[in-house]
Amino acid sequence: MLRRLVQISSKPLTRPQSTTAAKEKWDLYAGVLVERLPVVSKSLNPLEQQFQELLWRVEHENSLKSNHEIKHERDLAQAELIKQGKAQVEVDDSAAKQTAQDLKDAYVEEFKKFQLAARKTPDDAANKTDSTDRCLEETVYLLVQQKIGQQQHLLLPQGKRTDGESMRQTAERVLREQCGQNLQVLFYGNAPAGFHKYKYPSNQRSESVGAKIFFYRASLLSGNVDAKQQPTIKYEWLPKEALSGKFKNTAYAESVNKFLF
Amino acid sequence: MSLLNALARLSLQNCGVAARMLHTTPILCAEPLKKKKKLDPQIIKQREDRKKKKIEKQIRRLEKNARQLKPVEELEVPIELLDEKDKRQRKLPPLSSAEQEQRALLKKQWARYKHDEKVSDFQIIDRLVQAQEKALQELRKESEELYRAAIEVDLQLVPVTIKGPVATPPIKNYASPDGDYIQQSSKWE
Repeated sequence: MLRRLVQISSKPLTRPQSTTAAKEKWDLYAGVLVERLPVVSKSLNPLEQQFQELLWRVEHENSLKSNHEIKHERDLAQAELIKQGKAQVEVDDSAAKQTAQDLKDAYVEEFKKFQLAARKTPDDAANKTDSTDRCLEETVYLLVQQKIGQQQHLLLPQGKRTDGESMRQTAERVLREQCGQNLQVLFYGNAPAGFHKYKYPSNQRSESVGAKIFFYRASLLSGNVDAKQQPTIKYEWLPKEALSGKFKNTAYAESVNKFLF
Repeated sequence: MSLLNALARLSLQNCGVAARMLHTTPILCAEPLKKKKKLDPQIIKQREDRKKKKIEKQIRRLEKNARQLKPVEELEVPIELLDEKDKRQRKLPPLSSAEQEQRALLKKQWARYKHDEKVSDFQIIDRLVQAQEKALQELRKESEELYRAAIEVDLQLVPVTIKGPVATPPIKNYASPDGDYIQQSSKWE
């Protein structure tokens, strides 16, 4: 008991010595995860397809016949009667009278004329990664080439915070500066969605030890990165699977993966 | 009348007094007080009862009307369907036992699949919340002020509209043919 008391009382005494040296200065960065949400619904996998068919069959079994089906049956019965010679062909209005089958053929014909847009776009075929009109079933994320240290990296757009800014304002500014005014996005709230930190190489630690990046989540409303701005930057819109392959730093990839869907 | 008499008597009695200091004048512009009609208490009670009944009747009528709900047309089965039910029933051969078995298995498989999907959804949500909390903690370590700014409610988000994914993407520059809007719903008081 006494020994434990001694231990507790001695703890705060030893602590300050270590923390005074460890009070390091970190640079604050804001990063932005811009996502283009899926435009079309996901294709069904085999199980989903099977179950969908089952539901349709059950629905058909439980349903009553529609007016169209009733009319079709009546038409068939009438035709049968005429064939047997039991009924007269009504000459005057047979031309005007359309059978259910005729109507159905007309509807099918009309539907064939209407061309639905394809779920795969030309940009998919051309593998044009800087287009947002691509991978419509998936969420795609924006990566921008940036210079960190001596090397160029494809990263989420990020930038350093200046004094007097909140992190959200920094994130908005960074996105505007790097991607131009064309890109309209919706930020999801004031709180960062993810976090990553790294230390600078030991010869550059004079001012601050490293960088702490706070990632904000935003969804694309319209537009794309301004391609005409100077200097031109390289950017890509990639689905989740392709994303981590682009990051050279595994720790960075891990941090980003934590807040991806 | 009796009051006048009483006054006359009073003035007569005080005749001597009036001569000295009290002036009594005949009542000018006066008229006899109306005799208060004495109503039979039973009639009063009857009247009150009638009033009460009237109000009660009104309340009853209102309540009756309140219970009458506006009909929901979509929920009412059309009469022609009820009449022609036998004619419209599908005459399908009963399901074979193999088919039933297969359907039951498929349903079980589907239940497992949806369960797994739900579990993984919850895991994703947990992971996202954790990531956000970690970020907020780190921000708080750096600066209390920035943390306060980060946890503020974003009022721009409050009426948020998000359009869900569709089966086929929208056709570019598609001019939808105009149609007529026909107001069909009937009015209900």
